[in-house]
Amino acid sequence: MAGQVSLFGIRHHGPGSARRLVEALDALKPVAVLIEGPADASELLPMLADPDMTTPVALLTYAEDNPANASFFPFADYSPEYQAARWAVRHGATLRFIDLPASDRLGATAGDIAEEIAARAEADPVSHDPIGALATAAGYDDGESWWSDVIEENPATGPIFTAVADAMTALRADEKSLSAREAAREAHMRIEIAKTAKECDGAVAVVCGAWHVPALAERRSLAADRELLKGRPKTKIKATWAPWTAPRLARASGYGAGVVAPGWCAHVWDTRDGNRAAEWLAKVTRVLRDRGHFVSTASVIEARRLGTALAALRDRPAPGFAELREAAIACLCNGERAVWDDISAELLIGAGVGAIPASTPLAPLLDDLQRQQKATRLKPEALDRALTLDLRSESGLMRSTLLHRLNALDVPWGRLTDVGRSRGTFRENWQLRWEPEFAVRLVENLLYGSTIAEAASGRLIETMGKEAELGPLASLVRNAMIADLARATEFGIAALEMKAALTSDGPSLLAALPPMADILRYGEARTGTVEHLAVLMPRIVVQAALALPYAARNLDGPAAAKLRSALLAADAAIQLAKIEADIVAGWRDALGALLNDDQATRLIAGTAARLLYEAEFLTADHAADLLTRVLSPGTPVAEAAGFFEGFFEGAGQRLIHDAALRAAVDAWLMTLDEEAFTASLPLFRRVFSALDRTERRRLMDALSARSTGAAKGYGLTAGANEIWPAHQARVLELLTSGAAR
Amino acid sequence: MSEKLRLPAEESYAAELKALATGDQHCPPGWALAPRQVVTYLMGGKANDGTPITPKYVGDKRLIETAVATLATDRALLLLGVPGTAKSWVSEHLAAAITGDSTLVIQCTAGTDENQIRYGWNYAQLLAHGPSREALVPTPLMRAMESGKLCRFEELTRMGSDVQDTLITVLSEKMMPIPELNTAVYAQRGFNIIATANNRDKGVNELSSALKRRFNVVVLPLPDSTEEEVAIIVKRVGEMAQTLDLPAPKNVADEVARVVSIFRELRSGSTEDGKVALKSPSGGLSTAEAIAVMIGGISQATFFNDGKLTPETLASNMIGAVVKDPVQDTAVLGEYLETVLKKRRGFEGYYASLTDLI
Repeated sequence: MAGQVSLFGIRHHGPGSARRLVEALDALKPVAVLIEGPADASELLPMLADPDMTTPVALLTYAEDNPANASFFPFADYSPEYQAARWAVRHGATLRFIDLPASDRLGATAGDIAEEIAARAEADPVSHDPIGALATAAGYDDGESWWSDVIEENPATGPIFTAVADAMTALRADEKSLSAREAAREAHMRIEIAKTAKECDGAVAVVCGAWHVPALAERRSLAADRELLKGRPKTKIKATWAPWTAPRLARASGYGAGVVAPGWCAHVWDTRDGNRAAEWLAKVTRVLRDRGHFVSTASVIEARRLGTALAALRDRPAPGFAELREAAIACLCNGERAVWDDISAELLIGAGVGAIPASTPLAPLLDDLQRQQKATRLKPEALDRALTLDLRSESGLMRSTLLHRLNALDVPWGRLTDVGRSRGTFRENWQLRWEPEFAVRLVENLLYGSTIAEAASGRLIETMGKEAELGPLASLVRNAMIADLARATEFGIAALEMKAALTSDGPSLLAALPPMADILRYGEARTGTVEHLAVLMPRIVVQAALALPYAARNLDGPAAAKLRSALLAADAAIQLAKIEADIVAGWRDALGALLNDDQATRLIAGTAARLLYEAEFLTADHAADLLTRVLSPGTPVAEAAGFFEGFFEGAGQRLIHDAALRAAVDAWLMTLDEEAFTASLPLFRRVFSALDRTERRRLMDALSARSTGAAKGYGLTAGANEIWPAHQARVLELLTSGAAR
Repeated sequence: MSEKLRLPAEESYAAELKALATGDQHCPPGWALAPRQVVTYLMGGKANDGTPITPKYVGDKRLIETAVATLATDRALLLLGVPGTAKSWVSEHLAAAITGDSTLVIQCTAGTDENQIRYGWNYAQLLAHGPSREALVPTPLMRAMESGKLCRFEELTRMGSDVQDTLITVLSEKMMPIPELNTAVYAQRGFNIIATANNRDKGVNELSSALKRRFNVVVLPLPDSTEEEVAIIVKRVGEMAQTLDLPAPKNVADEVARVVSIFRELRSGSTEDGKVALKSPSGGLSTAEAIAVMIGGISQATFFNDGKLTPETLASNMIGAVVKDPVQDTAVLGEYLETVLKKRRGFEGYYASLTDLI
C-alpha cells in the first residue's frame, strides 16, 4: 500500500504555522517530508541540521555559466520549511524538495522571471501571501496576529491545517487561469508527491505554501501533468548555502516573499502565547533605554494595559503587533512616532547574521573570479608584478574594473601605485600580488552577493550607509563609479543628495566638491553614467555658496586655515567641472559678499578676494582699491595682516607683475610702525619665502624702481642706440684678443 | 436658532449622540457610550439605528482608537501636536461623547494658580463662618471628580510647572486632599482628564517626568496628503472670508495649492516628488498657518490690491509664517528658493517676491 499523503499549508516565514507544523509532524510521524523548494537542490537539505549552521541562511542556486543569474531561498529559525527539514533529519525521515528544479527557473532568461514576478505581485498579491492578504482584509497590520487570533483561536474543532486548506479552497474557488509557470510548478509537485507516496510505506508530509494546498490535493492524471512540464527551459546549475542577514529577510529589502518585521516573527517564535505581549514590551523598553530614553517599569505596565484595552476595542482576543505598537508609542515614546521609527529598525528588523558550515560546496564568488581572470587574462601570481592599463581600450577597462571591484571587497590583489595623482585620467598603474588568504576573504563576501560585481555593490552600499561625512561619502561614490558599480553609485549619489540637503555646514559641503569634480571628469574616461552627479554638483555649489557667509564668520586661526584650503580646493573643483554659468556666478557672488561682510574672518575674505581677482572678476584697479581700503591705517593691524595673508599666501608673484597691487601693498607697509611691523614679520616671511631668489630680486628691483618700464622689470636705457655699437665693439675686442693669446 | 455664537459639542451634535446611544451597549463605568461608539462618533460612520454620523476628525483612526482606549483604562490622556492640528476639537468631542459634558474646562495660562486647579474660597463665607465645605468654591476639576465626568485642560504646558504638579496626586490616587478641612474629595467612577499641549512652541513649561508618566500621549499629526490639506484649507478659507466679509478672489484654489505645496515641502523636509531633501524651518507650518496666510493675503488683496490675489501679496504673509528665527530660517528659506523654487514652473512669482523679501 502506498503512503498516506498529508498536506500542510503554511505561511512562508510564519512562526505561528511553524509551531503548529512541528506539533502536527510530531503527531503524524511521517516517514517522508516533502518541502516546496527546487528539487535539484534536495541533497543540500540535510545540511540544515548541521550544528554549525546558524540561521538566517539562504539556499543559493545559480547558473553555472553566469552566477549573476541566481536565486536565493532564505530560511529563518521560524520558517516552517526549516523546522520541517530539521524534524525530518532528527527523525530520520526521507527529506526532499519537490518544486520545479532550479535549472528550470534559471534557464528562463532573467528578464522573463523578473517580469513575471513583478506582474504576479501586482496582479495577484493574494497568491503570494494569502494569509497576509486575508489578515489585511480583516484590518490587521500583521499576518501573524491574524493567524493567532483567527486560525489558532478558531472555535471549530479539527486540526488547524484543515481550516487553512478550507480557507484556501474558498479563496481559489473563483480563480482565473494560472500562469504557465505556476501550473508547471503545481504539476511538478503533484508528480513528486505521487512518486514519493508510491515509494514509501507510511505517512508522507507535504509542506508547501498554503496557496498551493487545494491544487496539490486535487486528483489529476499524471499524463496531463507530465504534458505541462514538457519543453520547460533547462540550464546547468550549482547550489550551495549562503549566510543571510535578518535585514534581508525583511520585505523592505526588496525580498518579495519577505516578512514585514523579522524581529517580531523571531519574537513570536521564541515566546509562548501567555507572556508574549509583556516580553515584547520589555524588549521595546530595553531598546529605548539603550538609546538613552527614560522608561519606567510603571509605564510598561500601562502600555500592557493600553494594549489590552485597544485589543478589546477592536474585538480581538489578545493584543497583537499593531496594538502593542500603538500602546508603546503612547506610553513609552511619549506619543512621538519619530522615537518609534528610530528604534523600529533595530527592534523589527534586527541585525542577525547567519553562518554556514565549512563543508559547504564551493562559493560562487571564487567561480566568478576564476572566470573573470580567464576573460581578462590576468593570472593570480604570488609575486609583485607591475601592470599599466590604458582605460581607453576595452581590455584595459575590464581589468581595471575587476581590480577596483576586488579592492572594494577588501581583496587588494592590485594596488594603484599612483593614487591621488590626477595627471592622466585614462592611465592606471597597478602593482599586482595574489595572497592565498584573499580566497578566504572573498568567500566572506558571499553575504553581499553571488558575483563579484554584486558583492562589491552590496558591500559599498553598506559602507556608504554608515558614512556620516559628506567628503568621505563622495570619495566612496567615486570608488563605486570607478569600479563600474551602477547600483552602488546610484545609492551613493542618493545618499550624497540626502546628506547634502541636511547639512548646512559650509566646510563639509566644500569638502564634497573636489571628489565630485573628479568623478565628473573621470566619468568621461569610463562609460558610467554621471548625469545624476551633474545635477547634484551644481546644487551643492549653490548650497555651499549660501552657507559660505555663515561658515566664514568668527573663526579662530586653525579653523580659518582649514576653511581656506577647503575654499581653494572647492574653487578649483568648480572651475574644473563644467557647471552652468549662472551657478558659477552665484558662487562668485558669495565670494564677493565675503569682501563686504565685516563679520567674515579676514583670512577668508582675503582668500575670496584673491580667487575673484584670479578669475578676473575683480579688476586690478578694484583689487588695488580694495587692498588700499582694507590695509588702510583705520583697520587693526591683525585684521589687515589676516587679509593680506589670505590674498597673497602662495601667490606672491602677483606683486612682481602688478604695479597697482604692489603700490597698494607698499603704501600699507610704509604706514606700519616698528612694533606692528615686527609683529607681522613672520607673516611676511611666509608670503615672500614662496618666491625664489630671482623672483625676490625682481620684486626688490621693481620696488626700488630701478626699472620702471612696462616690460616686466626690464626697461630700455635712455640713449641705448648710441651706446650699443660702442659696447659691441668693446666686447668683440675682448673676445678676439683672448683668442689670439 | 440659538443666540449663542457657538454651542458646545454635546448640544450641536445631540441628535448623533442620541442615535449612537441606542442599542446594546457595554460601557465602562461612568461612560455614556461604548468605546466603539465613541470612535464612530469621532471618525464618522453609521449608528446602530442607521443614523449617519458626520466625521469630526479627519485622519488616522488608530490615533483616535488609542485615545479612547486610554480613557477606558482610566489613564489620563495628553493630546500633543503643533498648533492647528485639532487637539482641542478632539478633546471637546471626546468629552462630549464619553460623558455628555464638554464644558468642564480649565484654560491654562502662565497666570493659572493652584486655586484655579484645586479649589478656591468664598472669602465672605470663610470670614463669617470659618472654613467649611460651604465656603469652598469648586473648580471644574473638583466638580468633574465629584460627578465622575471628564475634565479638560487646555494648553497644559502653559501653566507653571509647580502648578502642573498639583495634578500628580489627582491622577495617581484619584483623590484631592483638602487639608484645611481635614478631608478629601474622592473621584467618582468615570472621572478622567484630557489635556492638550503644544509640542513645538516657545514659552511653555516642560511637563515634569513624574507628571508625564501619568499621561498616555497621543500626537496628532498634520494632514497626510496634499489633497486632504488643500481641501481643508479651501473650505476653511471660504468660511472665514465669508465671516470677515471679504470677497474671495477667483484664483484662491490655485494659490492654495501652491502655498500648500511650499508649506508641505518645507515642513516635511523633502520635495513632493521625494527627489530632493530639504531643511525645515524652526516653525511648525501647520495647516492653520496656511489658512492664516491665505486670509491675510486675501484681505491685503481686497483692501490694497483691487481684489487681485497675487504671489506678491501672499509672499509677504508667507515670510511671517516661515521665518520665525531671523538667522536660521532665512538661511533655510534661501536655500529652498535657490535649489527648488527657482526652477519650478508656476512659482516664478513666489520665487521673485520671496527672494526680494529675505
